[in-house]
Amino acid sequence: MFKNYFKIAIRSLLKHKGYSFLNIFGLAVGITCASLIFLWVEDELSFNTNFDKQDQVFYVPTNQQYEGEWRTFYSTPGPLAQDMKNEIPGIIRATRSSLQESLFTVGDNAIIRRGRYVDPDFLEIFSLNFIEGDRSNAFNNPEAIVLTQEVAEQLFGKEEKALGKIVRINDKDNYSVTGVIENLPKNITFTFDWVAPFERYQEGEDWMSYYGNNFSDTFVELSPEVDFATVDAKVRQLVQQKDENSNTYAFLHSIKDWHLRSKFEGGKIIGGRISYIRLFIIIAFVILLIACINFMNLSTARSERRANEVGVRKAMGSSRGKLIAQFISEAVILSFIATLVSLILLAILLPQFNQIIDKNLTLGLSQPFHIISLIGVAITCGLLAGLYPAFYLSSFKPVEVLKGLKITENSAVFIRKGLVVGQFTISIVFIITTILVYQQIQHAKSRELGLDKDQLLSMPIDYDFIPNFDLVQQELIRTGSVENATLCNSQLLSGGNNGSGYRWKGGTDTEDVLISSRNVTESFFDTTGMEIIEGRGFSTNVKADSSNVMISESLAKMMGDTDPIGNIITRGENEMTVIGVVKDYVYGNMYEASDPVLFMHFPSYARHMFIKTKEGVPLDKAISDIETIMKKHNPAYPFEYTFIDEAFDAKFKNEQLIGELSQIFAILAIFISCLGLFGLATYTAEKRRKEIGVRKVLGASITAIVKLLSKDFLKLVLISIVIAIPIAWYYIQDWLQDYSYRIDINWWVFIIAGLLAIMIAMFTVSFQAIRAAIANPAKSLKTE
Amino acid sequence: MKTKLLSVNLASRTVNSGSNKVTLLDKIDLQVNEGEFISLMGPSGSGKSTLLNCIGMLDNFTGGGYTFLGEPVHSMKEKNRTKLYKEYIGFVFQAYHLIDELTVLENIETPLLYKNVKSSERKALVADMLDRFNIVGKKDLFPSQLSGGQQQLVGIARALISKPKLLLADEPTGNLNSKQGEEIMELFSELNKEGVTIIQATHSESNAAYGSRIIHLLDGKITSE
Repeated sequence: MFKNYFKIAIRSLLKHKGYSFLNIFGLAVGITCASLIFLWVEDELSFNTNFDKQDQVFYVPTNQQYEGEWRTFYSTPGPLAQDMKNEIPGIIRATRSSLQESLFTVGDNAIIRRGRYVDPDFLEIFSLNFIEGDRSNAFNNPEAIVLTQEVAEQLFGKEEKALGKIVRINDKDNYSVTGVIENLPKNITFTFDWVAPFERYQEGEDWMSYYGNNFSDTFVELSPEVDFATVDAKVRQLVQQKDENSNTYAFLHSIKDWHLRSKFEGGKIIGGRISYIRLFIIIAFVILLIACINFMNLSTARSERRANEVGVRKAMGSSRGKLIAQFISEAVILSFIATLVSLILLAILLPQFNQIIDKNLTLGLSQPFHIISLIGVAITCGLLAGLYPAFYLSSFKPVEVLKGLKITENSAVFIRKGLVVGQFTISIVFIITTILVYQQIQHAKSRELGLDKDQLLSMPIDYDFIPNFDLVQQELIRTGSVENATLCNSQLLSGGNNGSGYRWKGGTDTEDVLISSRNVTESFFDTTGMEIIEGRGFSTNVKADSSNVMISESLAKMMGDTDPIGNIITRGENEMTVIGVVKDYVYGNMYEASDPVLFMHFPSYARHMFIKTKEGVPLDKAISDIETIMKKHNPAYPFEYTFIDEAFDAKFKNEQLIGELSQIFAILAIFISCLGLFGLATYTAEKRRKEIGVRKVLGASITAIVKLLSKDFLKLVLISIVIAIPIAWYYIQDWLQDYSYRIDINWWVFIIAGLLAIMIAMFTVSFQAIRAAIANPAKSLKTE
Repeated sequence: MKTKLLSVNLASRTVNSGSNKVTLLDKIDLQVNEGEFISLMGPSGSGKSTLLNCIGMLDNFTGGGYTFLGEPVHSMKEKNRTKLYKEYIGFVFQAYHLIDELTVLENIETPLLYKNVKSSERKALVADMLDRFNIVGKKDLFPSQLSGGQQQLVGIARALISKPKLLLADEPTGNLNSKQGEEIMELFSELNKEGVTIIQATHSESNAAYGSRIIHLLDGKITSE
C-alpha cells in the first residue's frame, strides 16, 4: 500500500513542478532556519556540561547591598573558599580563582596569555585532564604552573615535552611546568590558558586574607549526598558570621546555570540568556509552522484537482481512513524531500551563520541525536502540514465530485484565509521587532558617552613599566602620531574596582554608595576626551596630588548643596580633597546609568595604557610609531593592543546578535509566506479564469481586474497588521524593560512595517494578477 | 431457480435545495435477480444516475428499504456498507475516471489494494485481466496516453478485477464513438453470459437493447418496464 502512495506522491510531484517547488522550497527554508536555531540552542544548552562533576560544582557569587538595593557580584572575599570548606559540612572542595593576564617568556619566545591563580582543589573540581604530569601532585611545587596543550605547544613546540621546563612570567619570576592539560572545550563560561597556585599570587598581599575585600572568584564542590538547600542556607550566613559589618552574603549558583541564568535583580535570579533561548525555540517552531501553513493552503487550494481522485478511490472501495493515510504519507514524503534539500542549504549557510553568531557549529550528522531530530522534524512537519488537507480532501463525497459538481469550499476558504493572516501576522511582528531592536541598539550606541572612544588604543602593561611611563609618553607625543597617553588601573569601559564606605559632607547614607575608583595619570582626561566641568585636573606632580581626588558629576550631585570643590571625602583613615568634577561617562553596562567614580592620581597600580592617536595621521603609521617606542622601552613584551571603539562595539554583541537574527528571521518568514501567497494567487487566478474572461469581454480594464484579484489579499494583510501591532508592541515593551536607557516606541515604526508588508504582499500577488488580467479572454472562455 | 440479488422497496431520495425539498427518486420498487442485464432509460434529470448511485451505495436512499443479498442496506453502518460494496459491486463511469498518476496496470490493481489482497495474488489477477482485455502491451502506459475506448476498457477491467456480482455502469459509452460503444456493449453481453449482473444507465435505444430488461424513468418514477 505504501509503495502505491509513494509512487503516486512522486508522480504527482513531478507532474506539478511549480506547485512542488513552492511547497518543497518553502518547507526546506523553514527547516533550514529551524535547524540553525536548534544547533545554536544545543550549543548554548551544552555550556559547562562537559565537566564530570557538573551537578556538584557551584560558583559562589555575592549579593551586596548599596543604597538599599541588593546587587550581585562574582567577587568574593579571599578567605571565603577555605572557610566554606572547613566549616560547612557537605562542601568537600573549594578554591579561589583570580584571572590574570601574564607575559610568558621561553628563550626568545614571548606571549601574553590569560590564566588563573587557583587553589589545588580547582584541578579536582573541574576534573582537568592531564596529558603530562599528574593531577594529584601538580601543585605540590610552589613554583608550579599547569599549561593547556595549546600554550605548551606555542612555548615549547609540538615535539618537545613541556613537563619540568621553566617559564619566565612577567619577565620577573620563574615557574616550573608541572602539568599539561587538554585544551578546554569552547562551550565553557570561564576560560584560561594556564593555572598556577594562588599562594604565589598572594605573597606579600596581606589584604587578600581579610573579609571586606571582594576580589576573587570562588568555586566549591558539594558532596553528592548532601542537600543543596541546607548547604546554601549555611553559605548565606557565613560572610556575616566572619565579618559583622559586612553588607555582603554569598550563595551557591550552579555552574550549569552560570551561562544561561545569570541575570540578577535584587539579589535573585530573574533569568538571563535562557530567555533568548526560549524565544528562539519559539521562533523556530513559528517558522516551521509558517512553512507548514503553505503546504496546507496550497493543498486545499488545489483540492479540485485531487477531488476526482478521491471520488474514484472511494468508488473503488477505499475507506476514508485509507485516503487520509495516503494524503498524510504524501505530505510526509514531501517533507522528507524538503529535509534533504534543507541539508544542502544548511551545508551552504552554516559557515555564514557561524560568522554571525560567532560560534563554530557543525551539522554533526554522525551524531544519532541530530539524525533523529531531523527525522523528527521531517515527520512532524509532514503530519502538521498534511493533517488538515488529508481530512479535508478525504471528506469529499464521491457522487458529487465524480459528477463534476463544484465543491463548496466555504470552510476551507475560511481556514485558508485564517492561515494567511496567521503567516502575515507573524511576519509583520518580525518586521516591527527588527526595526525596534535596531533602533534600540543605535539609541544606546549614539548615547552621550562622556568620552571620545575613537582613535583610542588600549595596551596591557606591567607594574615594571610604570616608572618609564613619563618618558614613553614624551617620546610617543614627539613622534607626531600620538595626541596623548595615560595609565589607568582599569579598562576604560569596564566596571569593577569599586567599593563603599566613603563619607563626605552633604547627602545622606554616603557609606552605602558603591563607588568605582580609577587610578590614573594627570593626562587621563585629556587622552580619553573626558570633560572637567568644575575645578581643575591633576597636576604633573603625583606627590602633590597624593590626597587630591577628582569625582564624577553623579558623585558631586550626591553632595547636595555642598560645593564639591574642596569637599573632603574620607574612607577609614584616608582623607581626600575634591579638586575637580568630571562629566559622567558610561562604563560597565551601556544601557544603565554608571556608578559614580572617584579618580586618584596614583598610577602605580595601573594595568592599562591608553593612547590617543592624532587626527589625520594614518592609523598604520601611528601604530608602527607606537610599536617602535614600545619595543624600545618594553622589549620583553610582545606588542599587543586593542581599540576602545571595538571594545565598545563588543559591548553590544548580544543585542547586535538578537538584531541580526531577528532580521534574518523576518526576511525568511516573509519569504516563506510570500511563496505561499504566490501559490494561492496562482490558483485564485486560475480558478477565476472564466470570470476574468467574461469581465474582459464586458469591457473591464486590466487595472480593474488586477484590483479585483488583489483586493482579497490586501484585506488579509490589513487584518494581519491590525493583529500584529499589539503583539509586537507587547513583546518589544517587555524586552525594553531590561534596559533603563531605552527608546520610546514610535507609532511610525508600525506604519512602516505595515506598508512594507502590504508592498511585499502586493508585489507577490500582482505578478499573477497581471498575468491573469492580460490573458486573452477568447482562450480562457473556449476551454469551458 | 433464480436467486434474488437485491430489492428496492418504495425507496425515495430527496435533497434540500435552499428551502425547497426536491425529490430525485420517488417510491421506487425494483427487484433484481442474479444474472440479469438491466438498462435504465430516461431523459436527463429523470433519476437514472441517482438510482445507480444509491444501488451502488455511493449514495443513500432517504426513505424506504433497500436489501442487498438479504442484508438490509438502509439500516447498515457506513463501515459495513463499504465492506459489502467492496466485495460485490463494480463501477464503470461515463468519464472513465481513471487515476491520472497511475499506469494502466496500477489502475486495475487499485481495488485489490483496498481489499488487502496479497501482492502475488494481485499480480496474477491483474495479469489475467490484462490478458483477457488484450491490453498487456499497454500496461505501463498512463491514461492520458490511451484513446477513450481504451480508457473505458481499463475502467471496466478495473471494475471487474475484484470479481463483483453486480456491475453498475453510468452511461459507459457516453463519451465514445459508436464503434467503440458497440464493442463495449458486446463486452457487457459477454460478461453477463458469464454470470455478472449488470445495471446500466443509458440514453441510447440501441445500447439499451443489449439488456434483458429495460426500465424507463421519468421525474424520479418508474414509468414502465
